[in-house]
Amino acid sequence: MTRFLHTADWQMGRRYGRFNEEDAAALFEARFEAVERLARLAHDKNVDAVIVAGDVFDSQTPADRTLHRTFQAMGGFDGPWILIPGNHDAALPESVWTQAARIRAVPDNVHVLLEPGVSEFREQGFVVLAAPLTQRQTYDDLTAWFDTAATPEGLLRIGLAHGSVEGQLPDAADSSNPISANRCETARLDYLALGDWHGTKSINPRMWYSGTPEQERFKDNGAGQALIVEVDHPGAEPSVAQHPVGKHHWIKVHQHLSVATDLDVLVQEIGMLPPQSVVDLTVDGETDLAGFERLQQVLGAASGRQRSLASHLDALSLAPTEADLASLHADGYVGDVIADLRERQQAAGDEAGVARDALAILVNALRERRAGAAT
Amino acid sequence: MKLVYLQLADVRQFRRPLRLDGLTDGINLFVGPNESGKSTVADAIRAAFFERYKSRSVDYLQPWGDSSAGPEMEIAFDWKGERWVLNKRFLNKPRCDLVIGHEHLSETDAEDKLAELFGYQFALKGASRPEHQGIPGLLWVRQGSIQDISDPVSHAAEQLQSALGTSLGEVAASAGDELTNALEKERGQWLTRVGRPTGEYKIAIEACEAGHAKLGELDKKIAEYRGQVDELGRLREQRQSIDQPEPWRVERALASEAENRLREVRGWQSQQQQDQARLQGAERGRELCRQQARSFEDDTRQLAKRANAQAEAQTQVEGCQSRGPQLDAKLTQAKTAYEAAQTAASQAHQWAERARVQKEHQELAATLTRSRETLQHVRDLQNALAGLYGQHQANVIDEKVLAKLRRCRNKLDELAIRRESVATRLQFDLQPGKSVSIGADRVTGNGERLLLEATEVAIPKIGTLRLQPGGTDVAALVRDERRVQDQHDALLAELGVETLADGEQRLAVGKDLANQIGREEARLQGLAPAGADALAAQCKSDQERVAALAAKLDALPVVKGEPLDDATAQTALEAAQRKLKSVEQSDADLKRDLAIANQLLVTSTQEWRQLNSQLESPEYRARVTAVSNQLVTLNAEVESISNEMDARQQKIDAVQPEIMQQDVDRHTRSAEAMQRAATERKQAIDRLEVTLETLGAQGLEEARATLSQQVEADDHRCSELARRTAALDLLLGLLKGKRQALTRQLQAPLQKHLDHYLKLLFPHASLTVDENLTPEILTRQPATEPQSGGVQSLSYGTREQMGLISRFAYADLLREAGKPTLIILDDALVHSDPARLGQMKRILFDAATRHQVLLFSCHPDNWRDLGVPARELQTLKAAVA
Repeated sequence: MTRFLHTADWQMGRRYGRFNEEDAAALFEARFEAVERLARLAHDKNVDAVIVAGDVFDSQTPADRTLHRTFQAMGGFDGPWILIPGNHDAALPESVWTQAARIRAVPDNVHVLLEPGVSEFREQGFVVLAAPLTQRQTYDDLTAWFDTAATPEGLLRIGLAHGSVEGQLPDAADSSNPISANRCETARLDYLALGDWHGTKSINPRMWYSGTPEQERFKDNGAGQALIVEVDHPGAEPSVAQHPVGKHHWIKVHQHLSVATDLDVLVQEIGMLPPQSVVDLTVDGETDLAGFERLQQVLGAASGRQRSLASHLDALSLAPTEADLASLHADGYVGDVIADLRERQQAAGDEAGVARDALAILVNALRERRAGAAT
Repeated sequence: MKLVYLQLADVRQFRRPLRLDGLTDGINLFVGPNESGKSTVADAIRAAFFERYKSRSVDYLQPWGDSSAGPEMEIAFDWKGERWVLNKRFLNKPRCDLVIGHEHLSETDAEDKLAELFGYQFALKGASRPEHQGIPGLLWVRQGSIQDISDPVSHAAEQLQSALGTSLGEVAASAGDELTNALEKERGQWLTRVGRPTGEYKIAIEACEAGHAKLGELDKKIAEYRGQVDELGRLREQRQSIDQPEPWRVERALASEAENRLREVRGWQSQQQQDQARLQGAERGRELCRQQARSFEDDTRQLAKRANAQAEAQTQVEGCQSRGPQLDAKLTQAKTAYEAAQTAASQAHQWAERARVQKEHQELAATLTRSRETLQHVRDLQNALAGLYGQHQANVIDEKVLAKLRRCRNKLDELAIRRESVATRLQFDLQPGKSVSIGADRVTGNGERLLLEATEVAIPKIGTLRLQPGGTDVAALVRDERRVQDQHDALLAELGVETLADGEQRLAVGKDLANQIGREEARLQGLAPAGADALAAQCKSDQERVAALAAKLDALPVVKGEPLDDATAQTALEAAQRKLKSVEQSDADLKRDLAIANQLLVTSTQEWRQLNSQLESPEYRARVTAVSNQLVTLNAEVESISNEMDARQQKIDAVQPEIMQQDVDRHTRSAEAMQRAATERKQAIDRLEVTLETLGAQGLEEARATLSQQVEADDHRCSELARRTAALDLLLGLLKGKRQALTRQLQAPLQKHLDHYLKLLFPHASLTVDENLTPEILTRQPATEPQSGGVQSLSYGTREQMGLISRFAYADLLREAGKPTLIILDDALVHSDPARLGQMKRILFDAATRHQVLLFSCHPDNWRDLGVPARELQTLKAAVA
């Protein structure tokens, strides 16, 4: 029986622009930790090999330090690591791989298959039919040659490819790097390890996308996992087990506030988010000052629990009640200003957002003033 | 409020008490020159209210040089039905007393009471300053400061605002102004006053821009890097597919093969050149032989020609010789003819001479006969003329005398007529058969008689009648008639004629004879112009010549035969001569031709012989044969070489050596180019590998991702700040706008008063006040276009007018709020032009209907039409004195 770990799309060296510096740095680090966890998982599960189906690196020219750190993070498993390049790190004449070789960052147990061909791992009981990308994009199915490739008897035929399985992916608008959905049948593969799709996805029992081990998009497609694949003997149906390895969940939340209970729902939802997530929160609709205050309090608390909490409240209108105004002592012309701003929130486009901000500023200032007066 | 009187003592020039009383509502005008004490009075009033009685700061009020004096003033006014009297003394024994009706206040209580009523404050220390002076500071205007309005208003702001009923502080809701200030402060962190980013916001924007620029640079570098990677791949692929098989080897082999083939062809070409030389040699020899053969042919033709020449000469000689005898005969004949013609010509000449002399003789003889006849005729004529001369002499008469006679005759006739007319006319008609005698006459029948003298008529049987003619002149007339008759008779005698008719007859005959003589003389002249004697001489000489010619004729020989015409004979002679000459020429020509022909015959015969002997020689014959043989040999050789060369040339043309050379060049160059390209590719690959290695080590894309992360963060920050500032701007704008609107609403009463006065000065103008109630913007509407400007930017004069108008408006406001309003003006409006001053006086007068005004001026003339009496300070002072 052969057991191996299937992973892909590490995207090492990826940077996160939309976050603040601290969060971005943490998310950058998280990918190295993910590789370390993969190594540990491989070790723990005592697998025969780790197969990485492309896009190991996010770009062709990462910093040398990133190269070194990546390969060092793999140190927790000393069995063979079998890597192919994907579209981000294609085996171009000059590439991240030539640089890695040049700076001698690649350990001996790491096999980078830069050219299409059959690699034999007799000790582990399988051969790898690798379809590395040698261009950034191709419109040919690079796995086509698998069909006619002869391999020694008794060894599993494991395909390794990076691209889009035709007709299977939800947004397969990107038709580059196509892979036939029947490849396992036509090429008599025991397993075809795929990369490129960042969620975990099974095309058929022998054909899987492992997904990226550490999520990096707001897409709820089961990312952040690795697959442990066991094949009893050539021709046997593999058993595939999913193992979560990711640290941060990327979660998008959208809530419309119109009645008071809507806010309760939102507060509950925020409370139930897994900690250390990357959260993108959009709230629109309308709330009174008390609601707004409560929302801000809840968001403040949540930002402590989460890795990152980005909240978009532009489309949320403030609707101070009479009681609100009374409590703020917003009399005289200040009261007029508040009324004016409330109306302006109904305008189209940016103007409404600006009016809401202005109203928030005014309300906060009044509240602070009251607080000051009270003390 | 109404000031009732005021009294000063020991105040500057007013050592003795000065009392201004009888003050009225409305305007109180005090005039006087400079230093007459106007300002002293005003200063004293100010000091009385503004300064604490204990203040040491009022020493300026002391009379000059008297530091021990205690300036004292008493001011009385009515307010709300009560009389307020303030008595205050400074410096020396200072005190302060205030009596309000029955109430008495003293010292600071009194002072504070007044301050509260009038709305001012005391300085905590030292002299009162403008900021303490509140409402009076605004309404009591010092000399030359009426245009300053901003500061006094701000010092009176509190009182003015309270007069407006609500303070603006209240207007600002609980926290409006405070909020605005706080928000302004926050906005100031991000934006300058005009809205340009500043501070952290500015830095953030700059960071964004710098980040984007850097990002652009990196993108460019990355694109370059990617391009180079692609280029490397392309080159490597080319190296693999193009250079690896070393295609230049094939080209070199092809070049070499073509070269070998070309070498062979070059051999042929060289052989061809040699043969060409040989062919040319043979052709040259052959040409020489041909020339030789042609020369032999020429010799033969020359011989034949010479034979012909010889024969021709012979023919000519014979021709000449045959013509000789014929020509001799002709010559003889011509000579004979010539001699005959000569004889004929001589005879003809003699004939002609004789005929000529004969003719001359005949003619002269005829002439002589005619001359003789003429001479006879002349003699006859001369005789006839002699007779005529005698006749003419007999009939000569004096023509003048005859004319006289003729006149006398006429006179006589005239006198006779007169006599008849004067005479008595006696007419008678007698019966037939009867007669009478008149004078001596006897008459019958009828008739008439003129009676010049007494006449008797005797009638037979009757008697006699005596008739006496009447009239006087009859006698004179008769006398004249007798005298003229005498003259007439005398003249007849002179002329020797009987009657006048005779005289006339003689004259006519004389004239006729004279004419006849003339005619005959003319005929004579015609016949013998030179006279008859000359004619006779001529006859004689002619006779002699006739004789001579007769002699000559006899001497001439007599010619026999037919008479010959001289000219015809001459012509015949000339023809014979020409003929002879021509025949002689022919003879000479023939002789010359013969000589030439003979010479030619000799020469040609000699030449023929010479050439013939040459051609007949054995050497010459041998040479001809040799040349002929040589020509045959050379012809064969030329043909053989030409054939060989043609065949070889066809071979050469078939393989096209130029194209073969091009093949060699082409293959060689292709090989070189391929090798060069391969080398260059190799070098380019090496270069790119090195470059990419270097670039790869820079971690460009990760660096970009890192930078991009930073830039995104900066962008986010910028947009947050942009939103924040936009929100702040909106909020501040709204706050200020609302507040301003509210302020305007609250200021409406003040505005109403301002408008009231302004209308009098500038119709259709408006003056706004800011929230401190200070006049701000004056907008005027002249005919052309509205002019708007800050009060500070107006002319001095206009600012002065605005200052006064504003003060009146404040006073109105205060009055409505139940505050006391006293207005003191020290020399106001000195900078206004007469027109404006006129308007301002209307305003002043109007204001004075509501407020008491103390007006001090050193220009009494300016205020004469103010409707109030002017009080002269000097007079007042003097009155005190």
